[in-house]
Amino acid sequence: MTLPKGFGSGGGGGSSSADIERMIGKRVENMTGMITVSFWAAILATFGGTAAGYFYYPWAYPTASGHFAFIVLTIIIAIGYIFCVKVMEEGSNKNSNGIVGGSVAGATAFCLFVSLYVGW
Amino acid sequence: MAQMPALIPKEVEIQRLKKVWLIVIAMGSTAASVEVDNFVDGSLHQTSIRDSAFTPAHWWLYSHFITLPLGWGAAAIYDRKIPVLRGPNNSMNTGLKMTILGYLATMFTIGVNEMWHFWFVEEIFAVPNHWMFNMGVVVAFMGALAYVVRVYARLVELGAETPGENPYVAEMYKMALEGKLYSRAIP
Repeated sequence: MTLPKGFGSGGGGGSSSADIERMIGKRVENMTGMITVSFWAAILATFGGTAAGYFYYPWAYPTASGHFAFIVLTIIIAIGYIFCVKVMEEGSNKNSNGIVGGSVAGATAFCLFVSLYVGW
Repeated sequence: MAQMPALIPKEVEIQRLKKVWLIVIAMGSTAASVEVDNFVDGSLHQTSIRDSAFTPAHWWLYSHFITLPLGWGAAAIYDRKIPVLRGPNNSMNTGLKMTILGYLATMFTIGVNEMWHFWFVEEIFAVPNHWMFNMGVVVAFMGALAYVVRVYARLVELGAETPGENPYVAEMYKMALEGKLYSRAIP
């Protein structure tokens, strides 16, 4: 197969596995760390948003309402996180069930703690 | 299903399609959260009609009108590396065009909406300033569906995802791969 300019042996049109790796860059199955950091960033940002709601705007956003939103959003973010990691690792020999399970369990504990003790 | 011409190595294409898929899942989560916010915002407007444009439910709602166009814009930039997703005459994919235009309409409508509410302090759903929010989102969702189905169909064709068993779904994938999910004339 002819490769784009800058790849291959120049004129021959052949592609080596090194060329293919260079075209791919960072493989999706190696992105679990980045996806996990994004998951936690999204959880913390969501907490910040709802906390600003019930600390700064209690007249518009009662604490119970903020907690409800935070719980639902944590569930949505967790589903997206699980999907991301599972889809990116399918077909490879990578397995990050421990990291995913730990992160989701941690987020659940954090969400429960916030719902029970923060803002009341 | 007709095999589309491969212009880049299969392994490279699968990896690139999956990177687009990552962006799509992130935006799917955002869209799901905004569905929740529709109810939060609606219930808030039943109690305090409109004291401020910057209620928490509005931060949430308006942030997605900015997040999703930027996210689809990122998908459009990365999408150029995947030949099979190009639109007519090597332009941007038609589904992406629709999506970005739809969300641009909603971004623009934030300004229109605030001008309206400067004079009319209510939150009636059917007032004209809200029309383009709703129309923009519908156009964007239609385009996004066409694009997402095409990405998935290509992953199926490359053997990286499982084909649908339902013949109607399989037909939809086939039409999407040929760029004819919504129209036989506009790929």
